[in-house]
Amino acid sequence: MYFFLENLRISITELWGNKTRSFLTAIGIVIGIVAVTLMSTLITGVDNLFDKSMSFLGRDVVYVEKYPWIMGDDYWLMRNRPQIDLEMASKIKAQSNYALVVAKERGRNGDVTYGKQSAESIFVHGVSTNYPLVSPIEIADGRFFTESENRARSQVLVLGYEVAENLFPNENPIGKEVFLRSHRFRVIGILKKMGKLMGAFSLDTQVILPVDSYEKIFRTQWGMRRISIKVPESEMDNAIEELTGVIRVLRGLKPSEKTNFAINQQKAFEQQYSMIKMAIGGTGLVITIMSLIVGGIGIANIMFVTVKERTREIGVRKALGARRNIILGQFLMESVMITGAGGVGGLLIASILSYVINAFVFPAQMSFAVGFMAIALSTFVGVVAGWTPARKAADLDPIEALRYE
Amino acid sequence: MTLIKVKDFYKIYQMGLTEVRALNGVTMEIQENEYLAIMGQSGSGKSTLMNLIGCLDTPTSGDYYLDGVNVALMSDDELAMIRNKQIGFVFQTFNLLPKSSALRNVELPLIYSGIYSKEERMKMALIAIEKVGLGDRMHHKPNELSGGQRQRVAIARALVNNPAIILADEPTGNLDSKTGVEIMSLFDELHKIGHTIILVTHEDEIAKHAHRTIHLVDGKISKDENIK
Repeated sequence: MYFFLENLRISITELWGNKTRSFLTAIGIVIGIVAVTLMSTLITGVDNLFDKSMSFLGRDVVYVEKYPWIMGDDYWLMRNRPQIDLEMASKIKAQSNYALVVAKERGRNGDVTYGKQSAESIFVHGVSTNYPLVSPIEIADGRFFTESENRARSQVLVLGYEVAENLFPNENPIGKEVFLRSHRFRVIGILKKMGKLMGAFSLDTQVILPVDSYEKIFRTQWGMRRISIKVPESEMDNAIEELTGVIRVLRGLKPSEKTNFAINQQKAFEQQYSMIKMAIGGTGLVITIMSLIVGGIGIANIMFVTVKERTREIGVRKALGARRNIILGQFLMESVMITGAGGVGGLLIASILSYVINAFVFPAQMSFAVGFMAIALSTFVGVVAGWTPARKAADLDPIEALRYE
Repeated sequence: MTLIKVKDFYKIYQMGLTEVRALNGVTMEIQENEYLAIMGQSGSGKSTLMNLIGCLDTPTSGDYYLDGVNVALMSDDELAMIRNKQIGFVFQTFNLLPKSSALRNVELPLIYSGIYSKEERMKMALIAIEKVGLGDRMHHKPNELSGGQRQRVAIARALVNNPAIILADEPTGNLDSKTGVEIMSLFDELHKIGHTIILVTHEDEIAKHAHRTIHLVDGKISKDENIK
């Protein structure tokens, strides 16, 4: 402990005496540590985000749509597919053994106004009455619409949390009348705060209305349309197979014809997601390993130079009674100090970056374990890189060393 | 009392096919509080003898009793301890650590002796540095001191652990003659207060300060005489 502190003192003096050199030497380690900590922070952040987002989609729901969610270059082959006919919904329910709930969804962007307040470019979402069964939405206040309101094409709607906040900063929206495309709608409910899907698409900036009322107002074919089907989670694959068959028959496709619709599920995202995660992890790992190796070599190099430069000093210390291990410790300490400082510097930069990402991109927190690992890693690199030069110093013959010019 | 007893010292270097006998059977004794000069031309083996007496090296064969202990067969770490406790080195080129103050330089051997209390070390270093008359310069770095002052710091460093022997290798070799005289009178004083001093030199003027001179020729003692 005593010699440890003494060596620490010597190292600090030496490194401080060679500030520029120490700084430049540490840069490689700084980059490595930034890469490794930021990578794990990002992965944890994306993980959290993904888990939260996935709860919006529902593990036991499949979505019949024109396009698959994950598309490659084959968009051009799919653009001539027919639109999803929502009227299939009742037939699917009747013919499928797996379909527990079959809900219709349509949607597009639009503006909603109340008095002078307006909510622009929000998602106008027309759904069937059973939609709450295939979605995680919850009513905070008021109620959802009924089947008779849907059939009657009643002009009622449910406001997303943020829409309600914007249009009615000081009032209770329930029972108030708002305008959508110059049609008068009565607010019957407000949704609970939901958050964002993958940090982009907010579920709080939507209004939900009966799908039949939606079709009365928006006569165009344009916009989102899909059939959301709840199936038993354990029978997901069988259900998709059966539903594909059912819908092919409904569409009158011959066996030789290609399926011209997509049945999407959360799993597709999961695959995409694990690829993203692997990409982040792989890139981070490569950068980390490369920069730590290059940084380590740089440190080993500079330590060889240091030992060479201070041969005389080593001779003096030995003549005055420094034992082998004390000299070894002194130079190892110096090497570890460089990498340790690099590690701390890297952590500092990484935590600033994490803070920025957390504030502006998505929730990301650097964990204590990651910080600890970074310091351990940089110490390890210091010991490995410094070992040979330090041993060279420790093994110097005092007579030769004292004679060295 | 006999402090150093060297018996049949041989140091043989193998240079390719030829054998170089740097020391070719040296036997001698040095008493406590002697003031001795080892003299000889370069290549005579005086540096080799000094390194062996200073425990910086071990002989090819022979015995070396330092204060009654045979140190000839000790390991490197054991020799380091002997150097630290029993021997104070003064070099021709001073060999101070350039980034450390005079006081820190003097403190260095105490650190390696494992004197854990900083206060204790400082006290001992102060006594040593005042003995060489540099009490007012102890916080200066070596490059802020003159050659003579640097050598005084080196002498204080050699003294600080109260070693049995002070071993000085051409201590005035890098100093002008006036400063050299000052440094030599410092050695005279140290001898007077009881230190054992061994000078290694090729200058008769310096050797004259000693009370006994040993001349080396071709790795053997050619002359061993008491002057005073």
